[in-house]
Amino acid sequence: MSSSSPSGDLTERRGIPAAKFIQDVETYLSQSGLDPNSALSFHQERLQQYKVVEMKLLAQQRELQAKIPDIEKCLEVVATLQARKGTGEALLADFEVSEGIYSRARIEDTDSVCLWLGANVMLEYSCEEATTLLKNNLENAKASLEVLVADLQFLRDQVTVTQVTIARVYNWDVHQRRVKQATPTAIAAADS
Amino acid sequence: MQQQGSSSSSGSGMEVTWEDQQNINTFSRLNNRFHDLDDEIKSAKEKCDNLEDAGNELILADEEMIRFQIGEVFAHVPRDEVETRIEEMKEATCKSLEKLEEEKESIVSQMAELKKVLYAKFKDSINLEED
Repeated sequence: MSSSSPSGDLTERRGIPAAKFIQDVETYLSQSGLDPNSALSFHQERLQQYKVVEMKLLAQQRELQAKIPDIEKCLEVVATLQARKGTGEALLADFEVSEGIYSRARIEDTDSVCLWLGANVMLEYSCEEATTLLKNNLENAKASLEVLVADLQFLRDQVTVTQVTIARVYNWDVHQRRVKQATPTAIAAADS
Repeated sequence: MQQQGSSSSSGSGMEVTWEDQQNINTFSRLNNRFHDLDDEIKSAKEKCDNLEDAGNELILADEEMIRFQIGEVFAHVPRDEVETRIEEMKEATCKSLEKLEEEKESIVSQMAELKKVLYAKFKDSINLEED
């Protein structure tokens, strides 16, 4: 991560505005015409907005992270059924009927499985088609997760830049006040 | 990680360059990844332990057909196949655990480097410790 100039970076990513890096606080304040307090509240508001987006992205990330193992489990089951196909043996499986209550199922050799697609819809597929579909879903989920993680990293960078900017504007303001306070005293000392 | 306003004279000339900002950003990213890794390592260790226990249980059990969890159901699987499957799962989990530990080590050393650089420039004006 080594872009040498701030202008080389993105100004926004997927709807998230980038936080502009300030080279010099004094120049920034005079150019934008803001007094320190307004600048501080602007940046703090930005920070809040970033936090809101971060919550949303984290929730999406948790969803995806739960979905991926689910798809992998389905793939495993289909693979097991396919492996059994040639042997002619039935597969005995104990499955949960309700919490703590299990029942036994006898699954004969089969060419097709039913996949739950969501929204109260279930479709029957051949084992091969099911494997292909599930693999696709898994790839998509993993790709979405990658994009999401990159979004979160970008967002966190903007949060960090904004936090540093707030600290710098605040420090600059404190320093300015101290200088202003010191100057009348110096003039009084010179007079006396 | 916070950057505190300093009440000493460093509030005056403490310029933050783009390079400093990038270092701070990198440190923040590494710190986040470090915490995520900690969680991942914990769950990988747990999985490894569970597989170890399962392997031991298998040796003690004397049934021919073991109920082995595939997906959401427990399929009746012959003992040998269960043994093979558990071995495979154990190997995969242990390998990924190793990789995670390696990544964690590398991140810890990268963070130590960055801490040195940032503390050198900012001394008391910056706080890079866990709160």
